Amino acid sequence: MELTDAGLVARVLVDDDQHAYGELVRRHQSSVRGLLRQLTRGDIALADDLAQDAFVRAYKNIRSFRGEAKFSTWLYRIAYNCFRENARKRKELVGINEEQWQAEQDPQTVDPGLRHDLMHALSLLPLHERSAVLLCCQNGLSHDEAARVLEIPLGTVKTNVLRGREKLKKTLAAWVK
Amino acid sequence: MNGENQEDWLDKKLQEAAPYIEDDGFTARVLRQLPAPQMRWQFLRPFILVAMSALASALTYVLSDGGRFVIVEMFKLATIPTLWVVAFALASGMLVMAGGIFAAMSKTAQIQS
Repeated sequence: MELTDAGLVARVLVDDDQHAYGELVRRHQSSVRGLLRQLTRGDIALADDLAQDAFVRAYKNIRSFRGEAKFSTWLYRIAYNCFRENARKRKELVGINEEQWQAEQDPQTVDPGLRHDLMHALSLLPLHERSAVLLCCQNGLSHDEAARVLEIPLGTVKTNVLRGREKLKKTLAAWVK
Repeated sequence: MNGENQEDWLDKKLQEAAPYIEDDGFTARVLRQLPAPQMRWQFLRPFILVAMSALASALTYVLSDGGRFVIVEMFKLATIPTLWVVAFALASGMLVMAGGIFAAMSKTAQIQS
């Protein structure tokens, strides 16, 4: 029987079970790396480095996970903090790496033209709106969970999602109609 | 397309634009960076507790001249009036009960919060 995230975390806490932690990494690596790739505007190498740092940091601080929120929400928060610290150090985000980005996409799900425009539209959003839209609209987090990840008030998350969506709709007006 | 449909459409396209990323050795790289598991001393805990209890008992026996103070105090207890013994036992029982009730109420309040 497959263990839940809570069960795996318990094993890590009680037995320092790194195999259990490996299973947690396997389960969440795609969503964390995906989020970081979007935040870094397609810089896959940087996103994966940040993702690795996030998972290592999560392991070292796993005793601070109290189980009040989902493990994925707690993980996203750590990943987002890694991204923020890195962005502060570099003081700017790297430019869009569209070739790498395109190579990673499944060509059968999204029209390549739309994907290009969608990615471009996302990159134009200010960071706080982009983060909120990525977490809530793309990764399916509730506003409350996104507020925990971003460490901002719930009202601010809702406003950022609303504004981000409006801007995306305007930029992608030709596709929406 | 009305407003709500536009938002649903947008969310759907955002989700489709984020496909599953294959592990491709990522987990292995993370695990290699983890600190080595710490030595677990917890399995020694019962042995340590038993050893400390035995040591404390041995020390008490030696320092109390073979437990002579126990005999002396028991003799003194035997001369206390019966009523005092009953009162003392009742008071001790009530104290223990009060402590238990307090602990249960604290735990209940903690769980409810």
